[in-house]
Amino acid sequence: MTDVAIQMDAVWKKFQRGERHDSLRDLVPAVARRILHGARPAGELGRDDFWALRDVSFEVQRGDALGIIGHNGAGKSTLLKILTKLLRPTLGTYMTQGRVGALIEVTAGFHPDLTGRENIFLNGSIIGMKRADIERRFDAIVDFSGIGDFIDTPVKRYSSGMNARLGFSIAAHLEPEILIIDEVLSVGDYTFQGKCIRWMQDLLKSGTTVIFVSHNMDAVLSLCNSAILLDHGQVASKGELTKVVGDYYKSGGRWKPELLAQSNARTVEFSCAHGTDVLVDPGERVTFTHTISASTDCELTPGFFVTRGDKPVVDTTYARMRGHPLRLREGETATVSWSLAFNLPAGVYEIGYHVGDFGGGYHEHQSRACIVTVGDDPRVRGDAYVALELVESATGVRTPGPARLGAGAS
Amino acid sequence: MIADLKSATIEVWEHRELLEQLTRRDIKLRYKQAAMGFAWAIFMPCLIVLSGLIIRFAMAQISGQTLKRVDIANIAIKGVGWAFFVGALGFATASLVGNSNLVTKIYFPREVLPLSSVGAQAFDTSIGLLTLIVILPFLGVRLHTSFVWIPLLLLLLVLFTTGVSLFLSCANLFFRDVKYIVQVVLMFGIFFTPIFFEPSMLGARGAHLAMLNPLTGILEGLRLSVVQGHNLIYPLSVVVKGVERPVWEPWELVYSGVFAIVAVFGAAVMFRRLQHLFAEYV
Repeated sequence: MTDVAIQMDAVWKKFQRGERHDSLRDLVPAVARRILHGARPAGELGRDDFWALRDVSFEVQRGDALGIIGHNGAGKSTLLKILTKLLRPTLGTYMTQGRVGALIEVTAGFHPDLTGRENIFLNGSIIGMKRADIERRFDAIVDFSGIGDFIDTPVKRYSSGMNARLGFSIAAHLEPEILIIDEVLSVGDYTFQGKCIRWMQDLLKSGTTVIFVSHNMDAVLSLCNSAILLDHGQVASKGELTKVVGDYYKSGGRWKPELLAQSNARTVEFSCAHGTDVLVDPGERVTFTHTISASTDCELTPGFFVTRGDKPVVDTTYARMRGHPLRLREGETATVSWSLAFNLPAGVYEIGYHVGDFGGGYHEHQSRACIVTVGDDPRVRGDAYVALELVESATGVRTPGPARLGAGAS
Repeated sequence: MIADLKSATIEVWEHRELLEQLTRRDIKLRYKQAAMGFAWAIFMPCLIVLSGLIIRFAMAQISGQTLKRVDIANIAIKGVGWAFFVGALGFATASLVGNSNLVTKIYFPREVLPLSSVGAQAFDTSIGLLTLIVILPFLGVRLHTSFVWIPLLLLLLVLFTTGVSLFLSCANLFFRDVKYIVQVVLMFGIFFTPIFFEPSMLGARGAHLAMLNPLTGILEGLRLSVVQGHNLIYPLSVVVKGVERPVWEPWELVYSGVFAIVAVFGAAVMFRRLQHLFAEYV
């Protein structure tokens, strides 16, 4: 299918910092100023103005799921407000084709004094459902929400979880052609969340166009098929999902190494032959070099680890696995090479290292020293064979050179 | 301008079920947990009629006349109309700001918010009118052919009220002090609108001045056609101490009609043109 569901064409949105005049008393001086200095053209910034969105363009095909990611204040919400017609762009145009539904602030239309039943009809019509549709889906909505017998209780007596579940259930039964979701999948308890995820997947299968805003990259990676990254109102990256998610992590910057103990050895450098941000195909081999220098005689165990969204993927403290430590004399420097074939599913992986005592205590620990993004390959799915090749060399040789280490599961 | 009106009409029509739901909500909320229940609907008209009676009683005392039953009818019919106007504006002015959680989060034609305030007030007023229909025969009101004017006059009242409501809800969103100005103006407005008195009591000059108030034509028209059985096509006047004073002049109806139509269309166009700013400014 080639028909376009959403098209944004060079959209700019201007906002004003600070207070506006919002009483009639302040209007007169403001009007006088405007007459004296003339109205400002739309494309120009005043003293207190700033661009919340700058030249944003993208296109979403019918049935596609687009992830919108970016750090807080990047312009994601402003963009959604334009898509839901709440705001009008200062410059530029956009169009949406089909009924737009939004899962944003799903309880906004609730009135606390009305019962669950009354609120279903009220909120349903506020978000654009016809009365007949609400009547037809009423039982399904109540069922999905799990509110049960409380449906005739005023919502002010609901727990916040019940409130949110009811709101979500109403919105979930809107059946729009374009669905805009802003970080609402965290509603309710574990069971309800599972229900929401299944519902979302069914929706995508049924061909609904989805715009998904989230800080949860795993959810974005599993639900979307393309993404845009917003940074200070601009599209910093767009297109292929894993590349954009990788760019998002990169824009977060490096973390400072953590020095955990009074250290007699420290990392001089940890680097990757291809740079600190690497995009690889599944199975591609990447080599990292880790240079450590000692200020006193010591026995060390350098370690290397890979995480994905806080979940460990690869973790090694090689010296202990080999049964003897890396021994350094005062002033000596050793370089350890880590070579890993990224036989892993598509996604963003963070590479970290640590330096420890042979006994097990850490001197130094750094996560996210490099970021490796594995591109999408339909042949690679699920668990992957991981061949870890370890190359070790040290000046002032005390331990024998190149060693191979195999670890993996298929 | 035509395009604005067209889009407003189409969108509000498409959201008529939402309008109905919001009106129901406003009505329900007025009567939920309310000690007075439906008596609330006639509370304000009753107070207006009572205040009017006291004033008229005082006037009668000074001029050595007695208060007639028909005077109660005169004040009551206008009092109900005024209560509708004041009540609708009171609720409508705050309607956009009061629902800012909706205005900033969900798109729908914002006109439905002030319109639902007018609708909920119309429900209250119709209770007042029904009560009035029961009472009027006891106040000496008989069936007249001039009753045919009633639907037109009520329509003009609703149109004018709707126009002013749209305008004020929008103005209050941008300028928060509008609500207080409206309160003060409505509090004293009853003295600038012939509710307790009739324009002719102000003398020939004063009567003409009072007729410039667009509500005069509507409310006096209601009084004359219901209570006096006067056909509004014809002028009516009284002679006091040899001087003729106007009671009714047919142009009043045209004047009020033009006002109502201009108000409702003008406000609708203004509202439509500004509504894209609501989410940002509220």
